[in-house]
Amino acid sequence: MSDKIVASKDLVKWYGKSVLALNKVTFEIDEGDFFVLIGPSGCGKSTLLKVMSGILDYDDGQLFIKGNEMKNVPPHKRDVSLMLETYALFPHMNVFNNVAFGLRMLGKDASEIQREVKESLELVGLGGFEKRSPLELSGGQRQRVALARALVIKPSVLLLDEPLSHVDYMLQRKLMEDLKTLHKKLGNTFVLTTHVQEHGLSLADTLMVMNTGVIEQIGKPDQIYSNPTTVFAARFVGDINLFSGEVTSRQGDTYFVKTEWGELKASSKGGPDMVGKKLAYGIRPKFIKVNDEAFSSANQFKSKFLGYYYFGDAVECLFEIVDGVTVKASLAPEVVSNLKLGESYVIGWNPADAKLIEKPSVVEGLNIEEVIYGK
Amino acid sequence: MVKLTNYAMLLPGLISCLIFLIIPLAMIVSMSISTYATTSVPGSAAGALTFENYVKFFTSPQTPTILFNTFGMAFLTCFMVFIFAYPMAYILNFKIKSSIVKNYTLWFLTVPFLIDWTIRTVAWIPILGESGIINYILMSLRITSRPLTELLFTRYTLMIIWLQTYVLFMMFPITLALGRIDPDLIAAAKVLKAPPWRVFYDIIFKLSLPGVVCGFIFVFVSILGDFVTPGLWAGGLQTMGLSIAWYSGHFVWPYAAALSTILLAIALVVLYILLKVVDIKKLIYE
Amino acid sequence: MPMKLGEIVARLYLAFMIALVWLPIAFMIMLSFKTGGSVSFPIQGLTLDWYVAKPKGYEYISYISVLYDSAFWEALQNSALVSAAVGATTCLIVTATALALRHRVVGRDALFYLILLGFIVPGVSLGLGHVVMYKQLNLEFTFWSAVAVDVVFTVPFGLVLMMARFDPDLMLYEQAASVLKASPVNVFRRVTMPLVKWEILTAGVLGFVLSWSELVRTSFVMKGTGVLATYIFNQMQINPVTPKWYAAGTIIASVSFVGLILVGYIMSRTAK
Repeated sequence: MSDKIVASKDLVKWYGKSVLALNKVTFEIDEGDFFVLIGPSGCGKSTLLKVMSGILDYDDGQLFIKGNEMKNVPPHKRDVSLMLETYALFPHMNVFNNVAFGLRMLGKDASEIQREVKESLELVGLGGFEKRSPLELSGGQRQRVALARALVIKPSVLLLDEPLSHVDYMLQRKLMEDLKTLHKKLGNTFVLTTHVQEHGLSLADTLMVMNTGVIEQIGKPDQIYSNPTTVFAARFVGDINLFSGEVTSRQGDTYFVKTEWGELKASSKGGPDMVGKKLAYGIRPKFIKVNDEAFSSANQFKSKFLGYYYFGDAVECLFEIVDGVTVKASLAPEVVSNLKLGESYVIGWNPADAKLIEKPSVVEGLNIEEVIYGK
Repeated sequence: MVKLTNYAMLLPGLISCLIFLIIPLAMIVSMSISTYATTSVPGSAAGALTFENYVKFFTSPQTPTILFNTFGMAFLTCFMVFIFAYPMAYILNFKIKSSIVKNYTLWFLTVPFLIDWTIRTVAWIPILGESGIINYILMSLRITSRPLTELLFTRYTLMIIWLQTYVLFMMFPITLALGRIDPDLIAAAKVLKAPPWRVFYDIIFKLSLPGVVCGFIFVFVSILGDFVTPGLWAGGLQTMGLSIAWYSGHFVWPYAAALSTILLAIALVVLYILLKVVDIKKLIYE
Repeated sequence: MPMKLGEIVARLYLAFMIALVWLPIAFMIMLSFKTGGSVSFPIQGLTLDWYVAKPKGYEYISYISVLYDSAFWEALQNSALVSAAVGATTCLIVTATALALRHRVVGRDALFYLILLGFIVPGVSLGLGHVVMYKQLNLEFTFWSAVAVDVVFTVPFGLVLMMARFDPDLMLYEQAASVLKASPVNVFRRVTMPLVKWEILTAGVLGFVLSWSELVRTSFVMKGTGVLATYIFNQMQINPVTPKWYAAGTIIASVSFVGLILVGYIMSRTAK
């Protein structure tokens, strides 16, 4: 517990008497990591950040920062900085004074403050903005001031609450690059929350998926992507087609999984025996092939081409196998150009690419269908 | 079209201001420059234009005392009321979580404020008077051997009574201002390593200043114009308000008008200075 | 439930302030039942005489019970009427102005400061101004003169309160309504009014309440018995203080009490 920069054990936080925001949350963060928390709205990620920063106190469990227990330690005594979702720039101070605030609180002398504020503003690309009032700035500029303000005090851990949420797409991409660069340059530990999975996948050294106050899975992004431990994690990290089914039998290296609309094959290599288990069958869109390429797959189905979404490099296509059962496939544009809407095509995939996930979610009391269709 | 309705809606306020505020004030000013002790329109035969009223005031030996009593007391009392009112507003906003308790407290605080003014001040007699409860207790406990007459009919009486009268007026705008502070700002300050007292001073207090100034203005002005309380309670203490009431009651309009104008002028100067320092509009819009 | 020291101090302070503010009232109510003609301690007996005793022949006003003090009731009636009128007028002016000032009209700040001026002018100055104005125009003081002088002072108060309590989204709702083809009149009737009706009511009640206790300004323009405030003030200058006046005060207080329950009810309906 002591050599990780942030660690928690069974952290519990209640709002009032009825809302359990953090339900025995246990995790560790390595020093220097870019740690990303993803999860749907209300999963507790903002609460966790606020608890880590000290703005909210926790009700039970333990929280350690740099090896010290943080119960009853107020925010101004923690080596943690937080950039709030709303930025919260002080309206009655100009940019310089906003950024200088933390340094003043820490008792730095005037010349040092001058220097550091200037440096910090240049780091976020706002050199020269010192005299401006926060009210005159655009949203993106305000965010950068908030970032400079949080960084200038050189915290061991920088927390960022949904920094990518109120920003347009182009700015999001730029911001993600800037954050990555800053992180590399400065070396502090960054902890960021977002509800958009792509952000998590691009930015994270370590990813933590949360769901209504519990942790679904922690790990490297590619680990969670290739081996999700719960259906929820599978759904939340990377796109995936999920079907509820039961393993009826096993023949050689193949499991036969019966679903409502057909029999699917999956690889049985490795892992305990799954026969008889009710689970979720998942196949990622990128593994689904159409027509010629599909003819060699063990899983093949006739389906109607319903529609597509153009994503630039790949096209997300929607196929209907039976009434109400749709499958998303990620295909190359050249392939899609040969397809006609409403026509019937064969789609298929390799059993080895499919995933069988037993556990719906870390959250108790949910069944597979509920998690698949999003409760 | 919308624009037009807006302007139309501004008319009632504008008209009432013009008729009931601007014109009376203009009349006072014009009256103040007519001869002492006339009731006629300045410029007519009886009411020649002159500054003699102002001269009389500024050369009168009592003037410094009166000015000091009026403005000095007003400032001092305002300050005192502020000291008492701010913690109340702060506690109500930040320390009381239950809104039921908050509402009840506000309610309890407001009720006495609506009792008729004179009665409320008169009701202090049994408390501060010679045979009042304080003296009764003090004498029973043998802390003093004779009743304290200093409690009543001195400037300290005034301050106590004014405190009780105006503390709510000061508290109210401060509460309003405090309520508008974005809690995220407080959270941000804490995370930026501000210890609790600095969170209070740099963020909460500074952001509540428009409310403080608003309250200050109201209490200050009310005290300036209050001739009732000093009249009933201050014994011989003379204030401008009392003078104006006296001269007015004796139909010496021009002199009373001059005094009123001076009072108003000084009040406006004080206000102007205050508003330069703090922008009150922040309390209302944006 | 263990409380931190800070919390205890805070609650004590509030209790102390409430006590301070209630102190004279409490004494007033208590002493209105006291026997004997003076208002000093100790209290020897209790009686309802100051409220309802029949007058025994010709007595000084300080000794006539409230019930039989016809001047008191006349003043009370006047007060009620004046305050009601002030309340209604304030309501109208404040609503119209508050709604209009949301938009960026020409002279917005100027008008706002002008109205605020009414708040800032010391009561004596304003009162005198009104007197002079009436004299110059050769007008008589009437019921409406008291209303007029009070309105100058209640409108800024109500305006500040109302604008501070306006829902910032109100303009959005109005815009949404006009996009949905509502005419300005309909927008006002169906969107604006329902949303601000409690604020309007509060402004009205506030106007009532402020003028009910208003003494300084009103005293300049009253004649005859006047309103309660002036009546009692005048009487207190020349008559001894007896429990009768406390009885009167208690009655007035009860009216204010009821008024406040109303305000409290309205405020709780629109809690923000």
